[in-house]
Amino acid sequence: MAYLHDQMAAIGKVKRSKDLPQGVERLKEEHRKVVKDCTSQIEHWSKVEKDYESLQDRLRTLPDKLSYDIMVPFGPLAFMPGKLVHTNELTVLLGDNWFAKCSAKQADTLVEHRKKHVKNALDDLQKVVKNFQNRADFTDDLKKLTGDTEDFLDIREEVINEEEFTKGKHRLAHKPNSKPKQEYLLELEEDKEKKEGDEERTTGLLSEEELWARLDELEREEELQDERYRLDSTDTNGEDTTSSSEEEKEAEGGSGVQVNGHQKENGWVPSSITSQMNGTNGSHPEDEEEEDFDEEAGSGLPTIYFSHTAEFKKVRINTGKNTTLKFSERNEQKAQAKRKKKSGKSNGHSPHEGYKITSPTDIYRVFVDLVNGEPVPRKSILKSRSRENSVCSDTSESSTADFEERRAAFGRSWSHDDATHSDTSDGITEEESPTGTSPRTNGRFEAFTGTVIEKDPLPCSIPHLTIVPPALPTIPERKLEEVGPEALQEPPKRMSKFKATRLHQT
Amino acid sequence: MAEAIQKKLQSELEKYQQLQKDVSKSMSARQKLEAQLTENNIVKEELALLDSQNTVYKLIGPVLVKQDLDEAKATVSKRLEYINGEIQRYETLLKEMERKSEQHREVLSSLQQEYQRAQGQAVGKV
Repeated sequence: MAYLHDQMAAIGKVKRSKDLPQGVERLKEEHRKVVKDCTSQIEHWSKVEKDYESLQDRLRTLPDKLSYDIMVPFGPLAFMPGKLVHTNELTVLLGDNWFAKCSAKQADTLVEHRKKHVKNALDDLQKVVKNFQNRADFTDDLKKLTGDTEDFLDIREEVINEEEFTKGKHRLAHKPNSKPKQEYLLELEEDKEKKEGDEERTTGLLSEEELWARLDELEREEELQDERYRLDSTDTNGEDTTSSSEEEKEAEGGSGVQVNGHQKENGWVPSSITSQMNGTNGSHPEDEEEEDFDEEAGSGLPTIYFSHTAEFKKVRINTGKNTTLKFSERNEQKAQAKRKKKSGKSNGHSPHEGYKITSPTDIYRVFVDLVNGEPVPRKSILKSRSRENSVCSDTSESSTADFEERRAAFGRSWSHDDATHSDTSDGITEEESPTGTSPRTNGRFEAFTGTVIEKDPLPCSIPHLTIVPPALPTIPERKLEEVGPEALQEPPKRMSKFKATRLHQT
Repeated sequence: MAEAIQKKLQSELEKYQQLQKDVSKSMSARQKLEAQLTENNIVKEELALLDSQNTVYKLIGPVLVKQDLDEAKATVSKRLEYINGEIQRYETLLKEMERKSEQHREVLSSLQQEYQRAQGQAVGKV
């Protein structure tokens, strides 16, 4: 992640992100200064005005008597009794060393005239103060808007690697605007996510055609998946790698055609989730490589630098009865396709493999249970498998409601046989269900259970989900959670079947 | 190489700073003139309020010298014009200096970039 961050910095994004709060601060400072100056000036002029008014009073009363008995100041320390005479004759300083002899009334007129000037100055100052006050308030709001980590998160995705396959464009499509599904998920998610989701993914759902194309791609990818997946996983060079790896993975078709799509979505969703975990970049046990959610404090705000991994994670959602649902909001759409596709796929790959595990630590990193949004290393990886299977990445993404829907949708359609997985997943689903509540966070760090579909480096969105896929048992509990990403391992069979079906249809 | 650039940078920086000082000086002079302008305007208006019955004095040093109201008015008007002219002069001067400082700024930035590049190269070499 650090590497990614550096890359980011190199790109200048990080700088930008940092500049924003500083700039805002500075702007506020300037505003405040101006306001202070203005207020002090206003004070000064008010005093002047008051003086003039008391002077006017004096002028009015002065000519009442012909002479006054007063104590005349005599030097700095003494007074002496004296008389004030010619009370109506005043020598007035007009300014610029000019004097004029006037009567009290004329002096009064002059004073009035001067007071007018003072009033004008005061009014101008007031206006300036108000203006700057408004500006300061606005910058405050702006800062809050951009800097408030709680409500708003900036999600950026650096697309360094432009050599993407056609799938890349899918990814790009996802990037700028979240797909509807994403949004859908977003809604379910907490508000925090919402903002990011809105910002980040407005990509709508892929059209049917796209889906089909997607599926094709995924099928292709699947074949190459394993190698690429491993390769990609090892790369993890910041964004470049991830993006490329993602693309590759995508290209390879990962295990689940739809999964990819879903994965992407998942990825998106998790990004939103991760946005919450800003700064917890390294905490994705799953595919850090695959999907680099570079959650970085972005431009002054928590910014999640999202980078797509080449492959979508094929999320398998266990919708019960050995059905594996691809974790994705678009499950509905792709349900059919998936079904067909999935038939061929069997996640023979252990989830572990699916994730790029190059060292023992990876295992523990990858297989983590999400407990209330916190990755908790599993005691037993074996066990986790089942859990992972059962856990749907969906949980992270969407609220359980989504899961329900998806589950339902998939349950019918999916008929993956991951008997083995089912067992494991059952246990997991149960566990995961509770965690499903914190969908976003959980989703990201769902325990990696079941088989990892090597082909599809599960997009980080559903880290654990992807792992699960092969073992997506048809655990009813799953349905609830819709263990999403399991889709990683689409058995080749499925693909073919799916393809066949699709071909049939088309 | 980097050092040469650095030296150049320094000299440019100094020149720029000098220019900035001049600019600020002119600026303050102009502000003073503006204050005088407002004052004389007020005097003119107040003189207008008076009539010839009032005697007008001018303070020259420690002496209050009697002045004619009309003369006073004329004098004040002339002074006003003079001040306006001065302000104009300062304006043009300021603009000129601003332009020059802008040029210097650009030069400085380019030099800085060069310097950084040189630094980078030096670091790379090292």
